[in-house]
Amino acid sequence: MSRARPSLRGQSVLRLRVAMVVIAMALSVLGARLVQLQGVDPDSYAEMAAAEGTVDAVLPAQRGEILDRNGVALASSVDGMMVVVNPQLVDEDAAPELARLLADRLDVDYFDTLTQVRDQRYQFRYVARRVPSTVANETLEAVEDAGFDGLSLEEDPVRDYPAGDVAANLVGFMGAEGEPRAGLELTFESMLHGTDGEARYSTGGGNRIPLGETSTVDPVDGEDLTLTIDRDVQWFVQRALRNAVEGADADSGVAIVQDTRSGEILALADHPTFDASQPLLSDKADLGSRALSDVYEPGSVQKALTLASLLDAEEVTPTTRITVPSELESGDTVIGDYWDHDTLRLTVAGAISQSSNIGTVLAARRMDPERLHDYLVGFGEGAPTGVGVGGESTLPLPDGEVWTPMAADRIAFGQSVSVNALQMTAGINAIANGGVYVSPSLVRGSATTAAGDEVGTDEVERRRVVSEVAARQTSDVLEQVVDPETGVAPGAAVPGYRVAGKTGTAQRANDECNCYDGTLTVSFGGFAPADDPRFTVYVAVQNPRNGGGGGSVGGPAFSSIMGQLLRHYSVPPTNSSPAELPIEW
Amino acid sequence: MSSPLRLPDPHPREAREPRRTRPPLRLAPRRRPRPPKVPFVVVVALVALGGVVGLLLFNTSMQQASFAASALERHAGTLAAREQKLQMELEGLRDPQRVARAARDAGMVVGRSTCFLSLADGATSGPCTPATAADGMPIEPQPQARPGVLDPAPTYVDPPAEQNQVGDTGSRGGAGDARGSRNDPRGADRGARDRDRDRGDDGTARGRRGGATR
Repeated sequence: MSRARPSLRGQSVLRLRVAMVVIAMALSVLGARLVQLQGVDPDSYAEMAAAEGTVDAVLPAQRGEILDRNGVALASSVDGMMVVVNPQLVDEDAAPELARLLADRLDVDYFDTLTQVRDQRYQFRYVARRVPSTVANETLEAVEDAGFDGLSLEEDPVRDYPAGDVAANLVGFMGAEGEPRAGLELTFESMLHGTDGEARYSTGGGNRIPLGETSTVDPVDGEDLTLTIDRDVQWFVQRALRNAVEGADADSGVAIVQDTRSGEILALADHPTFDASQPLLSDKADLGSRALSDVYEPGSVQKALTLASLLDAEEVTPTTRITVPSELESGDTVIGDYWDHDTLRLTVAGAISQSSNIGTVLAARRMDPERLHDYLVGFGEGAPTGVGVGGESTLPLPDGEVWTPMAADRIAFGQSVSVNALQMTAGINAIANGGVYVSPSLVRGSATTAAGDEVGTDEVERRRVVSEVAARQTSDVLEQVVDPETGVAPGAAVPGYRVAGKTGTAQRANDECNCYDGTLTVSFGGFAPADDPRFTVYVAVQNPRNGGGGGSVGGPAFSSIMGQLLRHYSVPPTNSSPAELPIEW
Repeated sequence: MSSPLRLPDPHPREAREPRRTRPPLRLAPRRRPRPPKVPFVVVVALVALGGVVGLLLFNTSMQQASFAASALERHAGTLAAREQKLQMELEGLRDPQRVARAARDAGMVVGRSTCFLSLADGATSGPCTPATAADGMPIEPQPQARPGVLDPAPTYVDPPAEQNQVGDTGSRGGAGDARGSRNDPRGADRGARDRDRDRGDDGTARGRRGGATR
């Protein structure tokens, strides 16, 4: 016994030591691993662990809709999917059958699809984009039922423009990656887009693990943008304008409808225009709104503003007598009329309604040119309308030293001054609205543009430009223009209603030669009912090749649009008679 | 005994008080009967088992709920997508162009006059003339002219002059054949029109020639 003891003790010490060494080695391995995991590369394993079964999903914010004044969608967003394929998972022999299935279901080209499905170099190929999600899901189910592999779906929102080309010039369109490219889509991007949310959760077998990691940031959907446009009216105006432009074999045209009292734009049409769903099929030059981006010399429609200014300044009355010579010197140039005549004896009403340049200049010369300038500024010329559509161009009114008596002469009948169609509409509308200028608006309520401007019906500016009496008298004179016997534009009349308006046939300034190149801008602007105006309509057609003028091209289009407006909004006729004004003396 | 502890003497009192033979009797504390361990263990085991089973059931029901939630979410997604699709179809049906086309096909035209009826006395005001077919307005764009490359002007070739007919073996006849073959796929009416034109040209050409010979 006593001999065994020391050996036992020795053994246990040895065992203890051995064990301690083993434990120490194991611990140092663990320690080294710990240092490696926590110190050297702490994130990669956490990421791997997280990636295993954790889903990070972007919850896309629903893009706001663009609505017309009655809440009808002009642009709306639909959940869409992109169908993508991983060709490396597709069996070579199965490719044709898969391609056929996809081509049938998704309405895509069979051969394109086959090429994509067979392209073994990639793991990601598009099959179809912006597919409504019901169609995409049904397709995926069918493909999986048929036993194919490698197909998956990803979010790809669809922007739908149900009315095609109706108001496309204003609404704009979206690019292939869902980014706004033009129009109100671009101007009000921050408002329409909203903020994407995100969700993070653990899954197992396609289901959320109930007590697993979960965090959700809800998306904030974009706000809707409501316009003052009436879609049905806009459609009609676009068709009437297209008929006018095509009938006159013209380059382009615009037509604008403004609510006289509120200044709201009910329709703003351009031709040629484009289909917002397929913008790439149209000429790039047609992808905007010429009503806002093109400036031109308005021609004789301007005489209405000149007349209102003269009447307000009490320099003339509608019956003031003017002796109109066959031509008139103005500085180093000579002003003539569009028709040859000997010396005429016209009243102011006659000079305007017959659209005599000389008569208008002679009347305008009674007023200080500076004062005419101030009136025209009051009518909104030279300043942007700021309705919120990007790309509005304006040219400033000639000012200071450029505002010579000769310039004032020409500006009185609409030359040497450039406007865009909306400016001109708003100017005429000031006469219709009893002499009070109302800034036009395209957005209901209030909205902030990309440039930070607040626009909309809440931001409307009103200012008196001419007295109510002057506006009334101007209206009386303008009614003579559509007089069936003596007027120059009987085609603009609307049966049963009193209509006031003015024709314009202006030479077009050509920037290249810095001259008038012989082409014309023909236009007609007016309002009805003349004694209680509700709507102002302005039509301008660029470069008609059928020899037509403001009365013969713009007039019928005006009549068609105004007639439809009065019927659409059930405006009763006023059943009064137009004022009888002498044309000659 | 190599223990370092000193044990107390087991009989110290006997040595001092040898007469006492019986130890004094004392009331022993009443021994409580130990409660049986089995029920306790059973209860604990049951509680533990119940807890585990309960937890399992709870977890399972959570999982079930999760499955149900996932399925319902998918269902909701499908329904939302279907609603959007129907909405899209509805918007498509409301498209003013489609409505106008349907109206036109039903023989309707845009009215040109407005007639107001006073309900009080039945009087009408305004030019109450019914619309006619002539009031119709085109609602489709004019067909686009095809670019010249796609729509080349037809070339008209005079038939070979009589004096050439015998000896003419060359290019003109060949050109005529080529034109004929090119016209064929364009449709019968176009070919017929071309032939009519050709005949007309022939006539005048012959006439001229006739005049000249006369």
